[in-house]
Amino acid sequence: MRYLPSSPSEDQALLATIGVARAEDLLAGIPEGLRLHRALDLPTQCSEQEVTWDFMDLAQRNQRFCAQFLGAGAYDHFVPAAVDALVGRQEWLTAYTPYQPEISQGTLQHIFEYQTQVCDLTGLEVSNASLYDGGTACVEAALMAVRVAKKRKTLLVSRGIHPFYRQILATSFAPHEDLKVVEVALRDGVTDPADLQAKLNGDVAAVLLGYPNFLGCVEDLTALATPIHAAGALVVSVTQEALAFGWLEAPGKVGADFACGEAMSLGNRPSFGGPYLGFIAVKDAFKRELPGRIVGQTKDLDGRTGYVLTLTAREQHIRRDKATSNICSNQGLVALRANIFLQLAGPEGMKGLAEQNAAKAQYLRQRLLELPDMEAVPEQPFFNEFVLRYKGDMAALQAACLEESLLPGLDLGRFYPEYAGCILWCATELHSRRMIESLVETLARVPATV
Amino acid sequence: MFLRQRETLSFDRSVPGKRGMDLPKLDVPAARDTRPAHLKRGGFAALPELSEVEVIRHFTRLSKWNYGLEDGMYPLGSCTMKHNPRVNEKVAALAGFTDSHPMAPDALVQGNLELIYTLQEWLKEITGLPGVTLQPSAGANGEMTGIMLIRAYHLAKGSHRRVILIPDSGHGTNPASAAMAGFEVVELPSRPDGTISFEDVTDPVNGRVRKGLQTLVSELGTEIAGAMITNPNTTGVFEFRFKEISDLLHSVGALVYMDGANMNALVGVARPGDFGVDVMHLNLHKSFSTPHGGGGPGAGPVCCIQAMIPFLPVPVVVRATEKVGEGEVARHSYHWDWNQPQSIGKVHTFYGNFGVLVRALAYCFSHGSDGLREATLRAIVNANYVRARLKHAFALHIESPSLHEVVFSDSNQARHGVHTLDIAKRLIDHGYHPPTIYFPLIVPGALMIEPTESEGKDELDAYCDALLEIAREVEENPDALHQAPTQAPLRRMDETTAARKPVLRWAKA
Repeated sequence: MRYLPSSPSEDQALLATIGVARAEDLLAGIPEGLRLHRALDLPTQCSEQEVTWDFMDLAQRNQRFCAQFLGAGAYDHFVPAAVDALVGRQEWLTAYTPYQPEISQGTLQHIFEYQTQVCDLTGLEVSNASLYDGGTACVEAALMAVRVAKKRKTLLVSRGIHPFYRQILATSFAPHEDLKVVEVALRDGVTDPADLQAKLNGDVAAVLLGYPNFLGCVEDLTALATPIHAAGALVVSVTQEALAFGWLEAPGKVGADFACGEAMSLGNRPSFGGPYLGFIAVKDAFKRELPGRIVGQTKDLDGRTGYVLTLTAREQHIRRDKATSNICSNQGLVALRANIFLQLAGPEGMKGLAEQNAAKAQYLRQRLLELPDMEAVPEQPFFNEFVLRYKGDMAALQAACLEESLLPGLDLGRFYPEYAGCILWCATELHSRRMIESLVETLARVPATV
Repeated sequence: MFLRQRETLSFDRSVPGKRGMDLPKLDVPAARDTRPAHLKRGGFAALPELSEVEVIRHFTRLSKWNYGLEDGMYPLGSCTMKHNPRVNEKVAALAGFTDSHPMAPDALVQGNLELIYTLQEWLKEITGLPGVTLQPSAGANGEMTGIMLIRAYHLAKGSHRRVILIPDSGHGTNPASAAMAGFEVVELPSRPDGTISFEDVTDPVNGRVRKGLQTLVSELGTEIAGAMITNPNTTGVFEFRFKEISDLLHSVGALVYMDGANMNALVGVARPGDFGVDVMHLNLHKSFSTPHGGGGPGAGPVCCIQAMIPFLPVPVVVRATEKVGEGEVARHSYHWDWNQPQSIGKVHTFYGNFGVLVRALAYCFSHGSDGLREATLRAIVNANYVRARLKHAFALHIESPSLHEVVFSDSNQARHGVHTLDIAKRLIDHGYHPPTIYFPLIVPGALMIEPTESEGKDELDAYCDALLEIAREVEENPDALHQAPTQAPLRRMDETTAARKPVLRWAKA
């Protein structure tokens, strides 16, 4: 086994020092009857070459596309080569959580920079070292909201939040029988102000709003925040496409008390759903309620600036069952990709990329609407995703696209029965005019509905 | 190598007009501005303006301030810092995996689904448990999933149980996860040998009596939903009465959860499903070699008994086999099954940290059944070698036989006014990463060393020599140790001020 630094003479020396004849003698602490007395029923070891072949074969069994017009929480963006090159360095890749700050300043300073940029994107004051993904970040934000709101036990969740995020919320809140999750309806693709008003009361801790929401629509946070704050509840903005922060005002500046969501768009690839990057940011008043690791700036004994894990009194290894969360691992390396990406992009890159995304999505929408079977739904401002109704045969559309190696948008009926027959389309900077035209041409050839 | 003593924050070096990213030419009409005026993005306060060269140098220099696994032995106990094979990184980066979209129709992602199915099959055989979900993102996420499965299992039987038992030696995530899943945590005391006590334990200091497992089970009975037990426990010792523990818990209908953080001691040697475990998590970023990435991403699959399978998170991967004629190779197809009416729901937005799963399966393929067992034995030999070499200089608080890790106490050194933290910091001066310190909580001044199977005799000897030299220094010049480290880029940090007056982000001066 190539990974085991072992030779017969060295093995003998180790065993002799320990004072046993065979390695198996060291299993004495495991009662005989509880041991496995056969080999695992699995294939035997393989060379690196064989392993490589096996995985190339598996990877080839996934369909490749010229263009994916599918977003829905997982976005295809260009990843600068510097990102991959830098995260491959063993100092980033193989290090553990930075428990020993004197030899972990790289990771610690990176997280401090990452936290700073998340605050910048969201317009809020404190962030953490990252969470697992958009859905679990949503859960942490919601649990934090009911914690700070003390006696308030209801969480209002807009139907515009990603259906999978809502599903995780339901799973995580189910064990807490005193807490209630109530859905707020949509109207014309955005949270219905009348339904929101009707459901707001003194028991509501927070309201979760998509920004933009799952249907791609931009919610007017400012307008929605007014009644929510008047009812004494918190506004939590949930963003599943972090590149939107280059297009839309920071949620913290337009009424959000917490912002959370998914930042895989910043320097990561779709990767079949993970590993992704959950982010969270809050107003300063709530910093001691945040889940997970937080890095702070301090000095060493000689007065030199450095970074440490801090506010640890919130965490599981100190507080055990009274901790703000059970989280221990974060998404360190994925956050590093986002950090590098943001520093390469800078303010101009973020805005420029976001403008390109908006332009491509608008162009895609305009061209799709030229097709007789495509129909507008009530239009709201959108970023890089939008919904169109399709009067044709959805299966025929799918088949035609796949034939041209194009992955069409999401058939919404599965998640929103009221949008049956509608498709959620996405375009990013990766979609050239040629690809968009190719999609339109392909769809034009789909046989008309009988 | 630390060539520079400082690398300032990139925000402080930002110069207006610099660009690190050029955008492609826009080949469609410019975007119309449809945003309400107040929702139009204003400025950025922090994002720096730097060239690509500067960004690359910044992150390269910063990286040199990190100790990594390829710098040398990194024996964090309970963390299993084993070699991260490079081929795993290479195959996980194949475009066929990284470009695949999680919402793509099943027929178009057959490679991914087969990979997930195959990894599940490996984990079933390794743990001896027939149910698996790969959805949890990390150990703690797996714990919470497992505890929710326990809750769902009891609820389906119409039973509302409120208590989870957890030994005082357990990881902090255990009680935190149980609390997040809505349970009340009751602590189980340990015996002097580090294992769970059946009998009540009287605290020698305050005379307080802590109820043992036997008492708790008879008093709480059907209130107990389950127990979360780390095995081998956090002192590296196998709970030798595990079968009795699980029989006792099963006798009142409670389930046994195993924290699999220490699975590196058991793979190929003993299977939790064979010794009474009902549900457990594995840390693929520990036992299965996926890199820690400075804190993540990890993966925390959960394995369970047959009776708990209906409650697993959705979707579950299903394999269908096409009927073939005699002598032909069977053809399989895979799909997600979302229709699981008793499922607890979802614990990850999509299907888990897929990229981590790819690496873990590559580890499995490389090792095979023979290599997995060999690695386990080797990890145990290495821990016992460290124990044998150091036990005369450092106190073994617990004498029970060690498996994959060994825990020392600082009691010999404390007599000279030197404590675990000082020893750890001096190790840094010797060019090594310290072990896990002050954990488990039941060992005073714990130094928990887990060398893993990846270390050869030379590296183990060098590490032990460093610790033995430190032990000599403690006797000869204890005060010098309070100054350690002196060879790192920074000296000890003021953590108190960091927590009292937190500075958690950069702001323009």
